[in-house]
Amino acid sequence: MNLNIRYYFIFIIFFSSFVYAEKGLGKILRSVIIENGFKSPEYMYINEHENLAPEGEIFFKSNHLSLNGSISCATCHIPSKGSSDGIPNAAGVRGLGEGRERLLSGAKIVPRNTLALWGVGSKDFNTFFWDGKVTLDKDGNISSQFLDSPPSNDPLIVAVHLPFVAIREMIEDNHEISELYKNENINSAFKIYDQLINKINNESSYGVELAKIYDISTDEVSFFHVADSIANFIRSKFAIKKTPFENFVFDDLKLNEEQIRGGLTFYGKGKCSSCHSGKYFSDLNFHSLPMLQLGFGENGFGDDYGRFNMTDNYNDLYKFRTPPLYNVVKTAPYSHSGNYYDLKEVIRAHYDPLKNFDSSKYTDEERIGFFKRIKYSSIKPSELNYLDEKELDDLVEFLKLLSFD
Amino acid sequence: MKNKTLLVLNILATVCCIGLGYKFLLKPLMAETIYATEYKQLMFQCDNVMRDHMIAKNRVKHEKTAEAIHDLKASELGLVSCHEYDKLRKVMLAWGLTAEELSYIGLEAIEENANDLIQYVETHEFKY
Repeated sequence: MNLNIRYYFIFIIFFSSFVYAEKGLGKILRSVIIENGFKSPEYMYINEHENLAPEGEIFFKSNHLSLNGSISCATCHIPSKGSSDGIPNAAGVRGLGEGRERLLSGAKIVPRNTLALWGVGSKDFNTFFWDGKVTLDKDGNISSQFLDSPPSNDPLIVAVHLPFVAIREMIEDNHEISELYKNENINSAFKIYDQLINKINNESSYGVELAKIYDISTDEVSFFHVADSIANFIRSKFAIKKTPFENFVFDDLKLNEEQIRGGLTFYGKGKCSSCHSGKYFSDLNFHSLPMLQLGFGENGFGDDYGRFNMTDNYNDLYKFRTPPLYNVVKTAPYSHSGNYYDLKEVIRAHYDPLKNFDSSKYTDEERIGFFKRIKYSSIKPSELNYLDEKELDDLVEFLKLLSFD
Repeated sequence: MKNKTLLVLNILATVCCIGLGYKFLLKPLMAETIYATEYKQLMFQCDNVMRDHMIAKNRVKHEKTAEAIHDLKASELGLVSCHEYDKLRKVMLAWGLTAEELSYIGLEAIEENANDLIQYVETHEFKY
């Protein structure tokens, strides 16, 4: 046989085995994904009252619902910024504009990162906010700051109620508000809701329109109807759509080498799927991670106790809900206080928090606070393995598959 | 005689004005300038031991081990750190700062890290 032809055959055999191997790995990845509970977004979508969405959109974008400020849900949940706001901590009342501009214009700081809304209110999405302010358990019981009298048995509707009564977020603190909130009673919140309904009726025709939609008299319109319509808007506007990831799993889309390696790292060596599991790439549970705090934090002095603030349980210190990963490449910055602006860096912070830590940049309190978070996150030994630069790049490529418009 | 009386009254009025200005304007301002930083530090330390105590109490509620009880006792003793904070608070009140002004300084301490956030946002612009 001619030497050239022999080389040609060797090359063909080598190349075929390589393609076959990739095809095999792709197959393995596909079966692992299904095994880990992946479902088509179509299966997850629920919205029995989609007809309320247009009215909900009006309320979502309306400043009328801020009792004494000028802000709406849409101020912080911006579609072009992955339904988040693109800044580390949210910018509440007093500011002007959106995102960065708002924060720098003197807005009151809400000391947590704005969470994206993708998939919120879909099937089995039962835990809301970083610290789980609203949760729905398996028996259908809702846990929230409303204690025994939640305004609805739908957790999304309950969650929608909260920002409107949150000081700094949508209400500016003043003497009247301080007096009202002094007793820390749920009735204070309901008083605000009544005032908001009065405000809507005085300043707009929205109340009349709501009454028409629900087929009730104007007097019967309550904040529940507002929250219900907003919840239905959120469900439809921020529903998870078809992604290249789904096309790979169900429609045989071919992935490139990096994406397959990234997927295998996600479900394998990286153990990302230990927490970023299930339908939303989140177990919707609470975990403590050694993330650097940015801003003054929910507990002040640069500290944020996370889930502990809700449960008053020592074992929940510094725990935060696992964020879902749909459209993750569009929702920077990352972590509960938004301290990581790069997806690769926040992944690294999970297993190598000291990589870029420069202690000279921090005050004593900040450094000690960070050490505490490291300590608490290591109560349960980290399950994450070391990943090299290439593996991190592959993971980012893989996560891009979860994007949609 | 009349002029003398007027002069004395003027001097008295001036002294009173200076006295009032000193008591209600200068002294509180001096107190804030001298003590604000120390006050913030002591407030942080007191807050820190109080949180430590709260967490230790909470731990005992969930696990009644000897270690947890020892931890609680130690953190109870740790509350002594708040004594210095209380003392300075009283000094500042005596120097004419109001409780509202002290609360404001306290709020500034709690939210001190807000500046880090602004700095961070000024440095990084997120691209989409």
